[in-house]
Amino acid sequence: MSQDPRAMSRRQLIRHAAWFGAAVGFSVVGGEVISHVAGTAAAERAHARPTLRFAQVSDSHIGFTGAPNPDVTATFRHAIDQINNLGYTPDFVIHTGDLTHLSSPDQFDQAKQMLSGLRTPHVFTVPGEHDSVDDAGQKYRSVFGAATQGDGWYSFDIAGVHVIALVNTLNLKKLGHLGVEQLEFVEKDVAGLSSDTPIIVISHIPLFAMYPDWGWGTDDATQALSYLRRFSSVTCLNGHVHQLFSQMEGNVTFYSGTTTAYPLPHPGDGPAPKPVTLPAGKLGDALGIREVSYTKGQTALALKEDKLQ
Amino acid sequence: MTLTDIMLRIGFAASLAVSAASHAYLYVHGYQYIPTIGTAFLIQASVSFALALLILLGGPRWLRWAAAAVGGGSLVAFTLSRTVGLFGFSERGWEPSPHAAITVCAELLTVALWAGALVRWRMADRSSTAAPRRVGKVEAATGSGP
Repeated sequence: MSQDPRAMSRRQLIRHAAWFGAAVGFSVVGGEVISHVAGTAAAERAHARPTLRFAQVSDSHIGFTGAPNPDVTATFRHAIDQINNLGYTPDFVIHTGDLTHLSSPDQFDQAKQMLSGLRTPHVFTVPGEHDSVDDAGQKYRSVFGAATQGDGWYSFDIAGVHVIALVNTLNLKKLGHLGVEQLEFVEKDVAGLSSDTPIIVISHIPLFAMYPDWGWGTDDATQALSYLRRFSSVTCLNGHVHQLFSQMEGNVTFYSGTTTAYPLPHPGDGPAPKPVTLPAGKLGDALGIREVSYTKGQTALALKEDKLQ
Repeated sequence: MTLTDIMLRIGFAASLAVSAASHAYLYVHGYQYIPTIGTAFLIQASVSFALALLILLGGPRWLRWAAAAVGGGSLVAFTLSRTVGLFGFSERGWEPSPHAAITVCAELLTVALWAGALVRWRMADRSSTAAPRRVGKVEAATGSGP
């Protein structure tokens, strides 16, 4: 019986196995080294308490009823409990819109009452289009609009970070819209800031073109972002799309947050962004909260996405 | 071992190391916080570093195939991230500059070197078919291809 001349000898097999083992070993070591370098920076940040820590929650849609989430109140309460049990007190919590599903006074009252259960010094909000269904946001502003300007926009400084909260859900055609008055506000608001001030921009609808066919973008955001180009770190946080999505554009990083209510399809999956009903037991994986921290001297904010557990 | 083989080896190692260093830098400086993409950057960097080292040390042929797969896969991921998005992440054009351009060049070089090596392997295989005894001795002596 003749042996196949192309067959691998035992010695060759051992040699290849050794090379493969070395490849796996070096990959693991390399990964450990890189993680360590990244972790050292994170540990330094953890050692010296972050300058700023806050949580983002979004799209609670209080009042929604349907198969995608039969009890949005329970999942929103769950999210609040999770924030209250982070192991630290966030400097503030931001709700990035669609607090209610149909803007009714009862729904606003319930949302307000539930948010008051957050253990944090400050709760900030921006309106979603579901919070201004029939009155251009008047009921929203009567409940959440204290100390805001115009249609509900505002800014504040905290721990050396400048936060700008924008309203892009009024005057909707297809995409989100900021409008001339709000653009002027942004321009004036940042005019006196030094370029190394970290900027956080909060809105409901994404300020980047995530999927314009579904209205997931803001038609005049480019103008607003042009005022922020000179800053070394700009982080934009939004809701509306009910899923995690990130985009980087130069010095600006956009992070879409998930929801506490129900998932929407990924961009382009289907004709329209209708609520998705997940198999039993899977809803919690699609819902969540976000932790954000900033340490002085760091360019990037650190984000941590937490599923509702 | 010819000078061309050595140059190919160094070329593979250099292109992989550059791509790995760029991905590692971006991972440390912010990408680690992007779900899935952060992990993918870490894996890309660590595997590329390992392949660069082992190819430089004269590892077997399949390491070049693995290098081409990593380089080609990274290029596909780069394209997806700038078109339809990838794992809920997208970027624009050649941002972040200059890392995007550097990594794309390095990965294109990796794939090109693999294509060049493939041609050489085919030619060597044809020669071995023409003179099986002589090549058989060489293979037995080295235990692995170039």
